[in-house]
Amino acid sequence: MERAQFIFVLVMAGLLAASCGGGGGGAEPAADEAPAPAADAKPAPDLSQAGSVSGMVSFGGDTPKNARLRMDADPVCVKEHSGIVRSQDVLIGDGGALINTFVWVKSGLEQYGFDTPSDPVTLDQKGCIYTPHVLGIQTRQKLHVLNSDGTTHNVHPLPRNNREWNQSQRAKGKPLVRSFPRAEVMIPVKCNVHPWMKAYIGVVPHPYYAVTGTDGAFSIENLPPGDYVIEAWHEKFGVQEQQVTVQASEAKEVSFEFSG
Amino acid sequence: MVQRLIALLRRPFSRRGSRKPFWERPVPEEDPIVNSSLAVPMAVSSLLLMVTLIWAFYDEGWGLRPWRAHQAEFVERYSTFLRGLKPQQGSQEEEIRASDGYLALQQQQQEAEADVTPRLAEITAEEGSVEAKLGAIEKTFATARSEIQATIYLIETTSGSARKDYEEDREELEQRRYEILLPGEDAPQELSYVELEVMFNSLKDQQGRVRARKAAVLQRPSQIRREMQTYVANRMEGLTASQIQGLINGLDDFEYGIHQIHNGDMGLVDRCETCHLGITEPVTIRAADMGGMELFASHPRSELLDVHDPEVYGCSPCHNGNGIGTVSTDTGHGRYKHWLWPLYPPENMEAGCLRCHGDAARLDMAPVLSAGREQFRWRGCWGCHPRQGFDQERLALLVNQKDVTTLEGEKEAVRLLIERTVGQADEAETNEEANRLYAEADRLTLRVADLDTRVDRERDRGRQLLQEVKTPGPNLKEVRVKLRRDWLPGWIENPHNFRPTTKMPRFRLEEDQARAIAAFVWQSGVNGELENHAQGDAEQGKVLFETRGCMACHAIGEGDEAVGGTFAANLSRVGDKVNYDYLVRWIRNPRKRTLPYCPTLKRDLTPEDYAAAGKPFRFDLQNNECPLCGGTLQVQNPTVMPNLRLTVQESRDIATYLKSQAPGAEYAAAAWLEDSELAPKGRAMVRHFGCAGCHEIATLEDEGKIGTDLTEEGSKPLERLDFALLTQTAKREGWYNHKGFFERKLENPAVYDQGKLKEPLERLRMPNFHLEPEEITQLTTYLLGSVTPEDRVPERYHYQPRDQRSHIQEGWEIILKYNCMGCHQVAPGQQPIVKSLPLYQQDDWREQVPPPLVGEGARVDPNWLTRFLKNPALDEERTNRNGVRPYLQIRMPTFTLSDGEVEKLVRFFGALAQQPLPYLPKALEPLSQRELTMARQLFTHPAAPCLRCHATGDPQHDRNATAPSFELVSERLQPDWTRRWMVHPEIIQPGTSMPSGLFEREENRWIFALADLPIMKDYEKDHADLVLRYMFQFTRQEQRRLRGR
Repeated sequence: MERAQFIFVLVMAGLLAASCGGGGGGAEPAADEAPAPAADAKPAPDLSQAGSVSGMVSFGGDTPKNARLRMDADPVCVKEHSGIVRSQDVLIGDGGALINTFVWVKSGLEQYGFDTPSDPVTLDQKGCIYTPHVLGIQTRQKLHVLNSDGTTHNVHPLPRNNREWNQSQRAKGKPLVRSFPRAEVMIPVKCNVHPWMKAYIGVVPHPYYAVTGTDGAFSIENLPPGDYVIEAWHEKFGVQEQQVTVQASEAKEVSFEFSG
Repeated sequence: MVQRLIALLRRPFSRRGSRKPFWERPVPEEDPIVNSSLAVPMAVSSLLLMVTLIWAFYDEGWGLRPWRAHQAEFVERYSTFLRGLKPQQGSQEEEIRASDGYLALQQQQQEAEADVTPRLAEITAEEGSVEAKLGAIEKTFATARSEIQATIYLIETTSGSARKDYEEDREELEQRRYEILLPGEDAPQELSYVELEVMFNSLKDQQGRVRARKAAVLQRPSQIRREMQTYVANRMEGLTASQIQGLINGLDDFEYGIHQIHNGDMGLVDRCETCHLGITEPVTIRAADMGGMELFASHPRSELLDVHDPEVYGCSPCHNGNGIGTVSTDTGHGRYKHWLWPLYPPENMEAGCLRCHGDAARLDMAPVLSAGREQFRWRGCWGCHPRQGFDQERLALLVNQKDVTTLEGEKEAVRLLIERTVGQADEAETNEEANRLYAEADRLTLRVADLDTRVDRERDRGRQLLQEVKTPGPNLKEVRVKLRRDWLPGWIENPHNFRPTTKMPRFRLEEDQARAIAAFVWQSGVNGELENHAQGDAEQGKVLFETRGCMACHAIGEGDEAVGGTFAANLSRVGDKVNYDYLVRWIRNPRKRTLPYCPTLKRDLTPEDYAAAGKPFRFDLQNNECPLCGGTLQVQNPTVMPNLRLTVQESRDIATYLKSQAPGAEYAAAAWLEDSELAPKGRAMVRHFGCAGCHEIATLEDEGKIGTDLTEEGSKPLERLDFALLTQTAKREGWYNHKGFFERKLENPAVYDQGKLKEPLERLRMPNFHLEPEEITQLTTYLLGSVTPEDRVPERYHYQPRDQRSHIQEGWEIILKYNCMGCHQVAPGQQPIVKSLPLYQQDDWREQVPPPLVGEGARVDPNWLTRFLKNPALDEERTNRNGVRPYLQIRMPTFTLSDGEVEKLVRFFGALAQQPLPYLPKALEPLSQRELTMARQLFTHPAAPCLRCHATGDPQHDRNATAPSFELVSERLQPDWTRRWMVHPEIIQPGTSMPSGLFEREENRWIFALADLPIMKDYEKDHADLVLRYMFQFTRQEQRRLRGR
């Protein structure tokens, strides 16, 4: 009798276990392991066989007349100038040289890392005009903004990829020291107090950029051999690109021509 | 023997038998039944038993407890992860400890400690000496005191001669001399108890004073030590190494077993964390950290857990699923047929929010759900489907009309009661009785006055509601004056042909149905005269269209070329649809109707009706009384499009521009639209398809909704969702669930008619909206979340704030209704549409966007905001401008908001900025004469740029102004905000045109940073405060005075 009961209980227990033990547990499918981000800094380029890219930026077409800047709002500004002041939108030098064009290596240097130069770039406010009108700077390099005028300015860059700021600066006040951590070509700078004031800052992650001077010439030195896209930016005429290959120790000539 | 044993085994289980022992009994003859062998069945069953036993043990240990393996794995992976993390965090901590800020603190701390060391040593020595003295007398004193107290107790509790004995004892005790040797003294003193007590108390006092002195001396070093700890804690990203070590140590005692959240009040038992072990860990765990095991990751949005304590709310109230199930993933997730609430799929996860946040117009942390609700609202799903929280204005209007009638009735009843009471009083027998009744009559009279107030309020509310009612589609009574007749049939047949992005859906119409509908709609339109307009300047119109703000709501351009907002219609082809004169009228005032509608008489009033009543045919918000019945008229088109306060010429220019954009299509002549025989059938079809849910249509103004109530659609039992002939397919393909039903229905509303032969009128009526996949996901999420509120969570857990937070939800309704976010940033992180338009990407236009409204409640005086919202021109005469920022090309329109809507908006902004109501302006200290002179000099100083950018009222100057006039400050702004704005504008509005650095901090005050004014030299007060006080008493006269300088 006891034996029979025992067997019965066991069988029932077995059946119970069988009926309830339906679904076996399954682990969630394992996702692919994410690759660890490379923490190593990029290497500096080997400059033993560096070449260069240089050339001219010229303008063909009718030279547009720059708008007259009316500084009546601030007598201090008016006093700084004798005669008519015009904007610096389009400055043409001899032989159609297009001044204030920002030329830089847009791509081809991604594999390299570059040290941040320790000397600052200066942007001055003089005669209620930014000098220079177009400038280049490396990411994180210090920008010193000076106010050589006898009036209050406010410096207001309008970046898209960096953080915006807007700082008052006292007449002949201490230089403002700032920097831009992210590459951005170009960041317009304005002064809300003197709305005619405009400057453009090209922030580039490497030292290979230039701004054309009065002769329209630019020169980008010390460039490691490689394939590059060179871009020329002009405030009014937009951008142009060219693909170039720089061989070892080659001095490459590239020219850009804008038209109105 | 063996043979006998075998025989025994073969013996059946029988209770009967002879008394002889079995070996003496004769071996029975072979019985085929008795003697057939049981060995095989026995062997088999014992084997089965064995297997079952093993199985039982297996299930006990693993089969029913798959989480055991998970837990073991978690402990292993997590401790590996933590061990890897520790050095990183350790080095981070070290870096912080090596930072200049920390070292400076450390230096300070060391100095402070060095500073106090001599003093501290002195105090410690003193403390030691006092404590030693105390130690020397403490024991003796304590014994003496207890003896005396014991005697006192005995004295108090006894009487008679015994008491006397005790009193003697006490005297003796008090006179007893105690020998005390204080440390540092050579000879012991002899003291009485009283002297001992005095000495003890004085030593205790000394001890207290010394300790206080010690704490005072140590205060600075210990404060710096706390600062050092805070410094590290604030800068550490994640936990410190020692905290991580704590976690690693904790894993040694990991509790293997069910991890359960139990909230008895909610009836909640959730065991999810038995497997999802990383959910609430204090470090962020990504799947990759755990070898790709998503199962062990932290909650991906820990900010949600910060506001919904998992110990209270558990997991399943938000996520669904079977919180109790632990035997398998599918049971836990509720994905089996016996569980009604399967886990929400990841893309619909936010559906769960709606269970407790059912009334929310917008949930910041649930973007998909909020978008789903917005789709439901914007597309007008509620035109056909009743759903709680929608169409509230129309429903309130119905209730309102009833309320007014009830109140009027009640008033009449009370008036009769008063008459009766006064009558009784007049005839009362005694003066007392009469006076009592007169007093009762007076009380009732006050009740009438109260009812009068309420009737006024209700009537006013009724008028407001008429203003607030908006329909998703345009008013169809206007078709005859508005549209090109021949355009209509094609539109009704398939609206997407003409305008692919329209929210008007495509109905499943047979040709004759479409014709009948078109004819009825056309014939039910009212007739009216339109003013004739000359052509405008299309080029100027384009400029206005792009700069006045039209594109915050409207897009122009077809297909991928379309630029602009999607809130309202794409206007590329509008010129092919409407006639020019109507377009001009619409642009100038979209709310203007051809005829007013009387909700009491239920018809539109014609000029003849006005003439019959002897009144001029004039109707607007000021003249909205029905000339025939005295009730309130609907005098506006029920559209949300606001009035941009454009001139006639500007309206013509824009209309001309829009006309010029249309391709100039020709449509087949449709003279049959006038065929009156088609109208009755058309009306029946219009009712059948529920057109009046979205449009105002003559004779169908009070039409009910034709669709299913969707308030609790997500809770509807699955069997009641009609999958029709697709049921089996759905089951086979695995979408036999709410999500599957909704998604397919939204994608193709006719899908559940598939395979059926139906008469046209028996078909499913829901039209096709041509929804994008993400819109389907949004709407599905919203529908899945639309559940019976108490399904899983008792109502007291629902989010039903009674404080200011309820104002926020009310306000969002208005913000969404009128698309305020097309132009303004209302919530942090949200970008207005205009900011993304190509025009505003240009450098010169970037500062031309409307002001962000984050923090508006703290910025402006709510009473001013009320005035501004009613009339953004802030001027009754000069309306063609912006009242605050005349320099912006984009125009803040007049929305003709009802008083109730204005109130809700003002409260909304106030609540977002935690502003108390009512607003009591802060009184500012008036300026002394000298201060006034200083403030004027500062304000007009060449170095102060204030008046360069802020408008001054001088037209020449204001052309280039980029900020509001100071004349508005005192009535518009709040002083506290203004002060913060002056000194730190970049904190309130990153990227603002208002420059920072106008003031600089000098000790405890702000001083003007841009020049040193001689007159301010000896001024010791705060310069920002001076300017603030000056600005708050700034008037138009002051403005002129400054300009005259």
